[in-house]
Amino acid sequence: MLTNNFAVVSKAIDDIAILQPKGYMNDLGAERLEHECEQFLDKGLKKLIINFSDIQHINSMGASVLIGIVQRISESKGQLYFTNIKKVHFDVFEMLGIIKYVKIFKEEREALKFLIKDAEKLGLEKTDL
Amino acid sequence: MQKNWDLKRLIFNISSLVHLGQEVTSSKGFNEKIKGALYVVTGIFSIPRAALLIYNSRLHSLDLLTSKGLKGIDGTILRIEHRHIKVLKKNEIYSIKELQNNPFYKQNETAFKTLQTRTFIPLFVKEEFLGALSLGRRLSRTSYLQSEADTLRAIANQISTTLHNSNLFKRLARKATENKKLYENMRHIYHNTVQAFAAAIDAKDVYTKNHSNRVAKISVAIARELSWKDKDVEGIYIAGLLHDIGKIVLDRVVIRSKNLTNAEMDEIRKHPKISYDIISKIKFPWKDISDFVRHHHERIDGKGYPDSLRDKELSDGAKIIALADAFDAMTTERPYQKKRTLNEALIEIKECLGTQFDGNISKAFFKTIQKEIKGELKDPQVLPYLDKDFDPSIIIMLLEGIIAELSA
Repeated sequence: MLTNNFAVVSKAIDDIAILQPKGYMNDLGAERLEHECEQFLDKGLKKLIINFSDIQHINSMGASVLIGIVQRISESKGQLYFTNIKKVHFDVFEMLGIIKYVKIFKEEREALKFLIKDAEKLGLEKTDL
Repeated sequence: MQKNWDLKRLIFNISSLVHLGQEVTSSKGFNEKIKGALYVVTGIFSIPRAALLIYNSRLHSLDLLTSKGLKGIDGTILRIEHRHIKVLKKNEIYSIKELQNNPFYKQNETAFKTLQTRTFIPLFVKEEFLGALSLGRRLSRTSYLQSEADTLRAIANQISTTLHNSNLFKRLARKATENKKLYENMRHIYHNTVQAFAAAIDAKDVYTKNHSNRVAKISVAIARELSWKDKDVEGIYIAGLLHDIGKIVLDRVVIRSKNLTNAEMDEIRKHPKISYDIISKIKFPWKDISDFVRHHHERIDGKGYPDSLRDKELSDGAKIIALADAFDAMTTERPYQKKRTLNEALIEIKECLGTQFDGNISKAFFKTIQKEIKGELKDPQVLPYLDKDFDPSIIIMLLEGIIAELSA
């Protein structure tokens, strides 16, 4: 019996996967995020951005899922980017040692700017770059 | 700054422990609980790979229960013997290095490598060995601080208790299954014993051979048609088998006599009361059996015996047995009367409605015969014992008419 308070919205731009989990990462339902990441990795997308703006709460079970993702990315020689992290979640990631394995950006847009040099693909103004 | 971190870590660990407590005591299924518990451990201590193993005392093995981050490990088991368990300390945190000189490790070296075990925690409740936690390397690649080891032990205790409770529940379920089988066997023996009694009663007279069994079956058919509960149907079956037990004390000559004297008639009329006296001394698991037996010769108009009770004073059970008993007497050869055809017997019952037989009970009886003839009942109780010399279409027509009349 999994609670229905977690969802993942995802998309791909070039070789970048952007995942936006929503809700509570506090039970086995959070595994969905790990499965989505695995699917992108299996398709050959090695740069994964996780946007945490809609995450309300992360407990040890949610953290376990993120640790699993860190491990999978590292095995696939991919790169993981976290964006839009609340202070309280940042502290948890730091405490658990996750931070060392990811690049942090304040906003998803910044991570994309970092990864995609061709601004037109992003629909960004040149001045943004 | 360090103090602040320690406090944050403490809060995170405590809230994780609380969450683990909620997880393992929730109404979730065992597998989900156990997987949740493993996720809590791996989350708190940043462990990408871990497994939870359950002790199989029959095969002396540790079998995989759930895992995290490990692929291709299905079927991995660790062999563990009593001598190995004896030297393991309850819920102790063993680093793989500490285990390497242990014969248990040497015997399972390949499995430990497959599971990528770095830390091994045997799980006990009191002296009972239940399983083990196999934890891989931490993301930080650090060993456990004292405070972390304490938290890990607390979690191991929680998981042990969950495994223990599950074992208890399984044992209880197994015991309940055994008890149910035992009860079914006892019930079978009980039925056989009562049937043997019934056969002994009927054996006093060749005319009444198998009578009690037929009365029991007809009564069951009526009770089922009246939607009685299974337990009550079983009760009336037993009452049917034993209704004539009082005849056991009657003289065989009296039972077989064609022309009974008044004294002999009085003697025969005593059998329901004698049946009652015998039955009421036995504590049956079904209610009212002695009442059904005592009043199986009563009539709706109060002209029956032994208590001359009338319609509303009689229980449905007594009315059912009375009808089943009379129907069987009508359709079998007796010294004092010729056997009637099914058609004749049904008409006679109809004619005696309101005087000898109850309308509702008789209607249920007519309906069940109708269903049996039409083949609508899986387990017919009446037809198998009747002569097959009747025309089913005529009987069905007759029954339709009677039932319609009774329903009006």
